[in-house]
Amino acid sequence: MTNFGAKILNNAVGALAAQQAVIATASNNIANVHTPGYARRTIDLQTRVSRNSGSLVDVGNGVEIGKLVRATDQYLEAAARGAGSDKGLYSVQKDFLSRLNQLFDLTGDNPTVGTNLSSFFAAVDDLAADPASIPLRTNFIQKANDLVTSIKTTYDTIANLQAEADQRLGTEIETINSFTGQIATLNGAITSAERAGRVAADERDQRDQLLQKLAEKVSFSSIEGADGALTISLTNGFALVSGTTHRDLETTTSPTFASGPVPPSLKGAALSYIVYDYDSTAGASHIDLTQALKNGGGTVAGLLALRGYNDPTNTSAFDADGTLVQVASRVEALARELLTTVNQTYLGADRDSGTAVHDPSSGDLNGNTPSVYGLFDFTFVGTKDADGNGLPDDLSALGIDNFASRLSVAFSDPRRVAAALDSGAGAPAAAVFAPGDGRNMLAISALQDSNHTFGVGSYSFSGTFDEEWSETVGYVGVQSNAVEVQSSVAEDKYTSALNSRDEVAGVSLDEEFTTLIKFQKTYQAAAKLIKVADQLLDQIVSII
Amino acid sequence: MTRITEGQLARINLDHINRNRERVSVLSNEVDTGVKVRNPKDSDQAAIISDYQNTLKRIEGYSNRTANVKSFLSFQEDALAQVADILNRAKEVAAQGANETNSSTARAQLSEEIFQLRDHLVTIANSKYQGKYVWGGADDDDPPYDGNTYTNPSSGNASVRYVFDNETGTAITRSVNITEDLAITVNTPGNQIFDGSIQALERLGRSLAGYSTLPASGAPTGGGTAYNFPSQFSQQTDDIQNAMDLLETARATNIEPERVSLSGRQTRIDTAEALLSMTKNNAQAVLGTLQDADIITSATELQQAQTVLQASLTVSAKVLNQSIADLL
Repeated sequence: MTNFGAKILNNAVGALAAQQAVIATASNNIANVHTPGYARRTIDLQTRVSRNSGSLVDVGNGVEIGKLVRATDQYLEAAARGAGSDKGLYSVQKDFLSRLNQLFDLTGDNPTVGTNLSSFFAAVDDLAADPASIPLRTNFIQKANDLVTSIKTTYDTIANLQAEADQRLGTEIETINSFTGQIATLNGAITSAERAGRVAADERDQRDQLLQKLAEKVSFSSIEGADGALTISLTNGFALVSGTTHRDLETTTSPTFASGPVPPSLKGAALSYIVYDYDSTAGASHIDLTQALKNGGGTVAGLLALRGYNDPTNTSAFDADGTLVQVASRVEALARELLTTVNQTYLGADRDSGTAVHDPSSGDLNGNTPSVYGLFDFTFVGTKDADGNGLPDDLSALGIDNFASRLSVAFSDPRRVAAALDSGAGAPAAAVFAPGDGRNMLAISALQDSNHTFGVGSYSFSGTFDEEWSETVGYVGVQSNAVEVQSSVAEDKYTSALNSRDEVAGVSLDEEFTTLIKFQKTYQAAAKLIKVADQLLDQIVSII
Repeated sequence: MTRITEGQLARINLDHINRNRERVSVLSNEVDTGVKVRNPKDSDQAAIISDYQNTLKRIEGYSNRTANVKSFLSFQEDALAQVADILNRAKEVAAQGANETNSSTARAQLSEEIFQLRDHLVTIANSKYQGKYVWGGADDDDPPYDGNTYTNPSSGNASVRYVFDNETGTAITRSVNITEDLAITVNTPGNQIFDGSIQALERLGRSLAGYSTLPASGAPTGGGTAYNFPSQFSQQTDDIQNAMDLLETARATNIEPERVSLSGRQTRIDTAEALLSMTKNNAQAVLGTLQDADIITSATELQQAQTVLQASLTVSAKVLNQSIADLL
């Protein structure tokens, strides 16, 4: 005869344990309701299968605790990571470009290169109308200085933004290394736990959270092996994590794949390359991952899109791509045009065309003629007019390229403005200048309306000074606008991807409380069973 | 069935509140400043806005200069009107002196007024505007007419001869950019205007005073002798009449054309100014459309945005507060 009394007790005890397990799981879910990366867990309850039932009437063997299930969907997780990469890519660009925008104020409240260009040429026209006036000469120098200062400030700010982006890349790479290190460690923990048959839910939660954070830095693909370990590879196939090993990236300004010094940054220092050193024992042996990372997503790609990538074989900072470099090229082109065309015009025609050296025909109130870079000058140690022909030369031959940052006005004495042209008999007689002669200023003024060719690096534009500046403003506007739109789309996508993920993996308090009530009642019922079994046994005992 | 979790609700509500707050911030900025496009990123028309602002900035520069040029030209016009008066008065005096009923003594008395007129004219020719000699060309830091002498007589008004100094730069005129397409020459070298008149007045004065002037035509070189009266009385009369003709020639070929040219230049400036102000109005209108906020629309939208923000805050406070735990 079957001992149903024992069975009742057995079932009751099993049920008590099962209900407690469910309630404990709910308590863990409730505790982690707002924990980032936490995937809600459920316990599968299943009927206990009897091993050796002696009776034909098998009333069942109660309940037993089945598997612990993490409610996740790998596709939704992947979508959330993709959205995270996009968000990282655009939000960092939005941040930098919005700071860049302050240099291009359109309200007229803050002076910009554009307003200073207009003021400078207005000062030129004013001086042409009254060339001997010392106040107007002082005003001319002031406006030239304002123009130079605004070009320098604009260029330097862009160059500093580039340096900041470069520096932030270093920090991001360190963070990425720390993430991949942790992921590799978790890979090991998950493998060993799950080999023993346990679901490594906590470790998986942590790993998912790290993957999400990693995705905001860099885009990657991941494959989970049968042992539960993840392999993480960059878009070009380079494996960052494989099982329990991870490969640390580095930033360096002297990569081994460059044959000489790498091209300078906008500031003149060097831009770093993101590399992996695959043979650190024998010195260093780098492979370049910069371009692969730039083609991906995440903040690293965003920073690279701003900062630009310059092939190590290049020599100029302006050979790099990147939004900041493109804007800086435009400012630099403007500065170079001031140094070459404006200075050359300022010198006047050659008084003595027979000789190889240009003999200036313009002069100041002291009767002196200007030097080669007589109006707009630049800081440079060495011979500025290398070929000695008395004219501004091809500046790129000097081996430096941030002229916008080196710009200055050649003099500060108002009497030294060479407003006049030689009104004497011409060479070889000495040049004579009349104080009220403003013809050289008119020549400079004419430059405002004539077309110039602005070109630095890959940038080329033909038009007036004003048009070049407007083109620059337009470029900044279009780029920032595009990034703002993309960033806002990426934010939306990110929020909605996280919501989709939470729809499956998030903890719902309603659900957990319902579970609590449900299983509390069941627990009470199971406890009651024990009492019933006890009474039944009492009955039998009392008969004896 | 869609699961909605606490995390989702919080995220969605926060997202809405942030958006609404951002909208309120953007709109209140627009209402506060009246400007919608502050930086290039605020518009895809940034290049066009920058173009129009360059235009406005240039017009501002032109307008300041135009005012100066206009007053300079009208100063010259006033001066030349005085010159015309001087020449008219000189002709009256000459006509009186040419009459042979006058004795040489009476003629000599008339010469005094002519020399006064000449000196006045030289003062005008050597006048300054804002510290610069108006008719010195580019050599505007010293008077264009310098005093020199005739050999005969050796003293007195009739001995003084005025010569244009012809120094470096006196022939260079000054051109001022009124607009992008219009440059106006603002001065004429003094010799082109005043030489004829000054020489005619000197010849007239010397003839009346009793001296011939050499050479017989063109610029006096300082030569000339006293007439022998009575034999050269008719020679004196001829010289006076000759000088009268020279006065008329100077008026007709030097002074009047310059006066016409001056008023012509002023008219051109006026036309250019009208064009400038038209361009300015246009640029401002375009900028207004592209850059300025429509205050009424912005204010209305701000009102709406505030209401929506209020609503989203209220909704969030109510919804996020609800939990099944309260009901158990």
